[in-house]
Amino acid sequence: MSDLDKQIEQLKRCEALKESEVKALCLKAMEILVEESNVQRVDAPVTICGDIHGQFYDMKELFKVGGDCPKTNYLFLGDFVDRGFYSVETFLLLLALKVRYPDRITLIRGNHESRQITQVYGFYDECLRKYGSVNVWRYCTDIFDYLSLSALVENKIFCVHGGLSPAIMTLDQIRAIDRKQEVPHDGAMCDLLWSDPEDIVDGWGLSPRGAGFLFGGSVVTSFNHSNNIDYICRAHQLVMEGYKWMFNSQIVTVWSAPNYCYRCGNVAAILELDENLNKEFRVFDAAPQESRGALAKKPAPDYFL
Amino acid sequence: MEPPKEQQNTPEKSISDAPATISSAFPPSGCCTNCGGPTISEAPPPLASFPEMSPPPNYRPIRAPAINLPHNSQAIILSPVPHAEQVPVVSPPYHFQSPVKRIHSPDDIRRFHESASCKNFLGFVVSLSESIRGFKISDPCHISPTVAAIVSILETLLQWIDEIPPAQQSARYGNVSFRSWHERLRERGESLILEFLPEEFKESVIEIVPYFFDSFGNSSRIDYGTGHETNFAAWLYCLARMGIVKEEDYHSLVARVFVKYLELMRKLQMVYCLEPAGSHGVWGLDDYHFLPFIFGSSQLIDHKYMKPKSIHNDDILENFSSEYMYLSCIAFVKKVKKGLFAEHSPLLDDISGVPNWKKVNSGLLKMYRVEVLEKVPIMQHFLFGWLIKWEE
Repeated sequence: MSDLDKQIEQLKRCEALKESEVKALCLKAMEILVEESNVQRVDAPVTICGDIHGQFYDMKELFKVGGDCPKTNYLFLGDFVDRGFYSVETFLLLLALKVRYPDRITLIRGNHESRQITQVYGFYDECLRKYGSVNVWRYCTDIFDYLSLSALVENKIFCVHGGLSPAIMTLDQIRAIDRKQEVPHDGAMCDLLWSDPEDIVDGWGLSPRGAGFLFGGSVVTSFNHSNNIDYICRAHQLVMEGYKWMFNSQIVTVWSAPNYCYRCGNVAAILELDENLNKEFRVFDAAPQESRGALAKKPAPDYFL
Repeated sequence: MEPPKEQQNTPEKSISDAPATISSAFPPSGCCTNCGGPTISEAPPPLASFPEMSPPPNYRPIRAPAINLPHNSQAIILSPVPHAEQVPVVSPPYHFQSPVKRIHSPDDIRRFHESASCKNFLGFVVSLSESIRGFKISDPCHISPTVAAIVSILETLLQWIDEIPPAQQSARYGNVSFRSWHERLRERGESLILEFLPEEFKESVIEIVPYFFDSFGNSSRIDYGTGHETNFAAWLYCLARMGIVKEEDYHSLVARVFVKYLELMRKLQMVYCLEPAGSHGVWGLDDYHFLPFIFGSSQLIDHKYMKPKSIHNDDILENFSSEYMYLSCIAFVKKVKKGLFAEHSPLLDDISGVPNWKKVNSGLLKMYRVEVLEKVPIMQHFLFGWLIKWEE
């Protein structure tokens, strides 16, 4: 058994790697990710997954439902980290699988794969708490810069974390972006990771998120037609049934973090596409309490010392 | 705090600037990194910006403004606890104006935190916290006509929830009927406020109403979080700036107004399924609120037998949550969240190990400053006008 296989087994038990192992893994991952396109080509059959947000034990449920990698070909739409307790283990397991089976798992970037956002929503704190320094956070956030911005399944299904951009009419315009940077505050790259479809908007609207845009059905129709795609698959928004079609089945939201924030009561979903692009949504619940690992008692945070 | 070297904005290097080891190791742009043959797009850089490596020629770690790493432990421990400030009351001539967003970057956050506006607003929050120290919610307090009017407005808003039932819907989390509730707020909110404003301050509605409208969540995203809660505190602060609420009202602002606001927000959250806005998840105090933990911990300072660890005693929660805001918050979290408390609320669990409520209260005040008022994603939505000035 190789070191990498051992690390994958260790991560599957939700045990963090040593800092030196994280660094080595990130360097290997970078060599693979650097070769990928901004619009990464993905072959069917493939299973598409939405936001995970550090919910490691729920991601294990996802693999139970969808099958293990590499048996199943996976495409994850970003937001691996923040909010949940196990962002480190979640992201590193996916990254280790990417290094081990580069053609059987595709990871694209979400708006939380960013330095500024992870400093606010938990991943930074988690790295500091688990490793005692910011080095692991640095290695991971450097990797985030190399993640693809989108994927294209069989030239027919456009997959992105957030949505569309008024600056992007064609997939070639996405291919031309210099992605290897922190997510900018505005512009095409930012919009792809931050925008949302909205029923009550026709055309483009300002996003209440403070980044990206709201876009309506006519925008989706035009984009799909111009790029000869069947539909858009995206994540980024919580939906109670785990998935939600909009605009006459021209765009679908997939959400893969069940009982989000331990309170929302939503189910999660993954989208399975066979070799003919036939669709099947697999819906699953949060992992039962007994399958979750025990938490180590931590000292009071610095504010209270 | 100076950002680390690899995170500063640096001008883009040309190929010739790159160290020989990198530029010679990789073929020029437009060539395949494997075989050297032509490619359609520019060849991407193959190495990271790890500390001991030079970044590849066309790699820019940060093109947006340089970010600042959060405070280190020592800085947090040694940072002073925010203290109470007397609210500076405005005098004529008044220059009320429509407030606008000013915070877009960490530099703007720094500027805000060095300003009198921030010091005075945070000082107002501390004053509210101190006003409730040692008091139960039901303890008698001075209730001015203004405070009574604000409570009445919140009662009206509560009543609207009953009049606008949630829609039968599937798919999304937030219930679209919240938009109808919020629309009514926008239609009638200004007139509700005008009813209690003294004549000389009627024109302030242009400035204070936006804070009020933003106090109850976002109607587009159907969500609510600590930024919205901060807007409610800012609205009260604006009233204090105009002298409409006075220091003798602070106790009732917490025990009557804020308690009623909390009741309203919980009902809105439950009935319309408001999504947590920018929740920090397990790394935050609570998905929606911060201030009731500050005020609630102040209530319990010097309590004879209730200690921070008492939150684990269900009998105490059941019997005293109606009197103590902190316990009320804990009871609510335990009601709405599934699973082990230590798993879904590890920070609250950690805080229960702090030896006394004074330490909890001072820690929460420091935490509010850093985790809410110093975070760009939250404060980018905050508004500045004449009462809460943006200081250039």
